[in-house]
Amino acid sequence: MLLALRRLFGLADTAAAEEAADRDWRARKWVIEPTRQAFRARVEEVWRYRRILWFLARQRVRDRYEGMTLGPFWLLARPLMPILIGTLVFGGLLGVASDRVPYFLFFLTGTSCWRIFERSLLWVTRGLENVRALVKKVYFPRIIAPMAAVSPALTEFIVLLILLVLASIFYWFKDGVMYLQFGPRMLAAVGAILLTVFFAISVGLFTSVLQVRHRDVRYSMRYVNQFWMYATPVIYPMSQIPPKYHFLMYLNPMAPLVETYKWGMLGIGSFPVMPFVSAVIVMTIVFVAGLVFFNRYEAASVDKL
Amino acid sequence: MDSLVVEHLGKCYVIRRGAEKKQTSTFRDRLRISPGDGDNRGAQEFWALREVSFRVQPGTILGIIGANGAGKTTLLKILARVIAPTTGRVVGVGRVVSLLELGAGFDPDLPAYDNILMNAAMLGVPKHEALKRIDDILSFAEAEQFGATPLKHYSSGMYLRMAFSVAINMNPDILLADEILAVGDQAFQERCLQRVEQEGRNGLTVLFVSHDMDAIMRVCNRVIWINAGQVMRMGEPEEIVDEYQNAVWAQADASRDERGRRANRFAEVISVRLASSAGRDIGGAPISDDVYVRVRLNALKRRLKIKCALDLNTRGHLLFRSTDPATHQLGEPGVYEILAKIPANLLAEANYSVTVSCIITWKDEPQEYPLVVYNALTFIAYATEEPLTVPGRMQKTGLIAPRLDWTVRQEEASAARA
Repeated sequence: MLLALRRLFGLADTAAAEEAADRDWRARKWVIEPTRQAFRARVEEVWRYRRILWFLARQRVRDRYEGMTLGPFWLLARPLMPILIGTLVFGGLLGVASDRVPYFLFFLTGTSCWRIFERSLLWVTRGLENVRALVKKVYFPRIIAPMAAVSPALTEFIVLLILLVLASIFYWFKDGVMYLQFGPRMLAAVGAILLTVFFAISVGLFTSVLQVRHRDVRYSMRYVNQFWMYATPVIYPMSQIPPKYHFLMYLNPMAPLVETYKWGMLGIGSFPVMPFVSAVIVMTIVFVAGLVFFNRYEAASVDKL
Repeated sequence: MDSLVVEHLGKCYVIRRGAEKKQTSTFRDRLRISPGDGDNRGAQEFWALREVSFRVQPGTILGIIGANGAGKTTLLKILARVIAPTTGRVVGVGRVVSLLELGAGFDPDLPAYDNILMNAAMLGVPKHEALKRIDDILSFAEAEQFGATPLKHYSSGMYLRMAFSVAINMNPDILLADEILAVGDQAFQERCLQRVEQEGRNGLTVLFVSHDMDAIMRVCNRVIWINAGQVMRMGEPEEIVDEYQNAVWAQADASRDERGRRANRFAEVISVRLASSAGRDIGGAPISDDVYVRVRLNALKRRLKIKCALDLNTRGHLLFRSTDPATHQLGEPGVYEILAKIPANLLAEANYSVTVSCIITWKDEPQEYPLVVYNALTFIAYATEEPLTVPGRMQKTGLIAPRLDWTVRQEEASAARA
């Protein structure tokens, strides 16, 4: 697994294989035309430049926290405060049901899944804008920039994950119950997270290009995301929704993902098979459309940067 | 095979004028994403490049010259894929490394070592190859002991050296360099040029934009002159640079013309021509003959005193100013002819331009009334007989080529010894 990952980022290629690929690449003709070349050639190109992903991702995270005296503190405090307040308001004051799991854990789980989507989307949207200086001077497949921009959201997610483990250990001592369900189900949760990031990138392919032209995109997205969150079972369990309205809820591709994540991590609710499949289909369509859109308008937008 | 073929390349920008935009743009207009669809009220097309076509063979160091805003950088940016062309296409082979701005891809917070790897990633260079080259890069940049220092702590000179060093050591097939020599100290510039020359001999193709004509003439073996987005000329460096500089010179003179005075209330310069010793007007100057600069002057008042001077310019340099040592007393009003002889065997094969100035004094007034005609005459000097050329570049003949007196004889002492 680790080796496969390393290979993915080009860290474990053998020198000989790499050199052969390089020779092959250099001997090939390239063409610059007003509309970009064949799709396959572009995919190969992204593959060739894949190592930039790591550098840009690192840059984004560093930009985010550099110069802050309390860097690690913010890393923790920023996501934690809304969760604490949410727990107090929804769990405490309003008494929202949480499927027999402490509301704090329930909310933390749902939020971590939702937040990785929301934060990723916001960062991906700024993915092109943030590398403006670079993009105007150096060529690399631009699509790498929005993809790399998920990195701050990933760090935040990891922090939330650590928090989740710590909190469940706390409840383990307090209630004598380990709420986290370690087991093969967690693979479903991992899958849900990967799909969430994938979905954020897919939507971001549109928004990152639009953001270059219209700075209000990101602004309005913060607004839309609030509604979107309430339409997604984050602060409440799916069991609180009358079953006849489930199909409506599941029109939102994020709903089955958050549900699956909670099912995988805490073992509550159920694995929504059909909605999950339909979400994957929707995401794939959005992704492909996003690629086409990005390809088509990326160049014209960079002119405007 | 050509390493780069550029065909009918064009880049169009749509400029929207602010005032009109306010009146005509609807919400839909604003959301419109691509230029060119929908109506274009208030939009103006600007072609930064138009119908640019050329071919470059491997090993060519192609100089790109032209005034500011002529489209040189746009061309490089298209070739570097930073911007997409509007029309035409480019076909090339090999790895392209661009130096549109020295250090553009650098992250100042990262150490040199990481930056080298990052740049390699951006150029699509495999990591192993980059690792192999790190020592070369650091040593060319004279930064061996600073490999782990973040670039923000580098001096600006080191930063530039590092940027150039990374680019040239990434083993490019095509190097795009925009004004890389406008920066850095002389010694480093020299090393850059040497390295570019050397890589050129090894088959590297270089496209080199510069305003430094000396550097262009030194390293380039072909030059393309771009003006207002179009290719004006392409060819041998000396020829193109000469033409370009004369055009620039003439333009500068045209704009200076208000300051130059052809006429005042005492006299008027009617014409400035080149004449042969037989007195005929000629267009070019044969190097081996005497030629005359003939100024015809209309004196409007009696008893003027006149003293003339002549500037000879070439390639943007003032070659010399020659002033008539004598002041001449004119008599009655009328047309006078002033002749200045340029002796044979002085000029080189080049384009020259002449500026004429006359200082006029009237009666015994101390006041001087100058007449200056900038760029009054341009002409080409040419060799009639085939000169004994030293193999090499034409510019090596210099700006002038006076015939010196040469003698070769044996020393008496050594003759006695034999």
